[in-house]
Amino acid sequence: MRDQILTKRPVAILEKIEESLEKLNDKMEVMIEIQKGSGGDAAKSSMVLPDSTLDVMTLLSMPDHLRKTAMTICRCGRATAEEIAGSTSRARAVESAYLNQLVIMGYLKKERKGRKAYFFIDPEGRR
Amino acid sequence: MSNVSKIIAVHSYKGGTGKTLLSVNLAATFAKAGKKVCVVDLDFRAPSLFAILKAENVEFWFNDYLNNAVDIGKVLLNLSGRLSGNGKFYAALANPATEAIRDMSSKDRKWEMRALGKLLALKETLLASKKFDYLFLDTSPGLQYSSINAIVAADYVIVATTSDRSDVDGTKRMLVELYNLFEKKTGLVLNKVLDSSATAKKTEMGARVKAAYQVPLLGIVPCFCEVLRAEGNFIFAQDKPDHPFTKILTEMARKIESNEVD
Repeated sequence: MRDQILTKRPVAILEKIEESLEKLNDKMEVMIEIQKGSGGDAAKSSMVLPDSTLDVMTLLSMPDHLRKTAMTICRCGRATAEEIAGSTSRARAVESAYLNQLVIMGYLKKERKGRKAYFFIDPEGRR
Repeated sequence: MSNVSKIIAVHSYKGGTGKTLLSVNLAATFAKAGKKVCVVDLDFRAPSLFAILKAENVEFWFNDYLNNAVDIGKVLLNLSGRLSGNGKFYAALANPATEAIRDMSSKDRKWEMRALGKLLALKETLLASKKFDYLFLDTSPGLQYSSINAIVAADYVIVATTSDRSDVDGTKRMLVELYNLFEKKTGLVLNKVLDSSATAKKTEMGARVKAAYQVPLLGIVPCFCEVLRAEGNFIFAQDKPDHPFTKILTEMARKIESNEVD
């Protein structure tokens, strides 16, 4: 095991560590959102929706800050937090938090490709 | 948004406010000016474009496109021959068969979510690939799924309203509770205005509309007996080029094209 690690180039190891840290960061953001949600705000009520389909009626019932993010992803289909931030003029970290919240609520799916995380609408909705 | 609106939804709170008349004639106005336009009938509960355009031998409907049965290209009906000039006028029709209306009214939320995706995809297929200049989405009145989908997909929404009390109140509520939430660029068209001097006092009316509805006025259309007498039998803007109605539409088209709609 030790020999295996030593044979890898140090840069590759650092990249691996960075990727793990990013994954950890995402998970922490999700946990923060869950904590916020348990505070009893509007996000909580939409969290318990039995049918998590991101249709226009859902968009209408969302709190304003999430609607903006959700509408943007509806328009572009698939995007990173940075791309969403580009069109909403809000900070990347803010959009990342909102996107992760939408993933928890079941409206979006998240996929990692290398160091980037893509958010998209699952056309089948949540089963 | 500083870009010129390409996808224009025409909506209203109540029925019979002139949505289809506005959609068809505005589209015809653009086509006469050499543009490539398409009118889409999204009023699946009461399809009317089919009858107004006297479409024959329709093979595929817009319903089929939303049902993922055919590509949008198969649905487009080329009616350019009906208009003078070198513009292109296309239509995508809602199926008027009772069976189709029943089918469309029983769709679930997942279907409606995918339908929104299909409407949003028109930006790529019709505007980018097929080089359409404008799409007009003629919707169903009130808060219908298909209409709200159209509003979300559109760059600009024209709300047709009359001076009827129930229409005024409902329209005001709809603008606040629906349009504001989606942050849509919106323009109001006052249709069937009886006071003929209203059109002369455009600036004053514009200020009154802005105060009452909180949205800019796109145009005022007086109640023209000739338009009613036509009984929806022809494209007015094409057949009566010198009529005041046609001139009012030409002015609306100019505002949309030059993006003077904010």
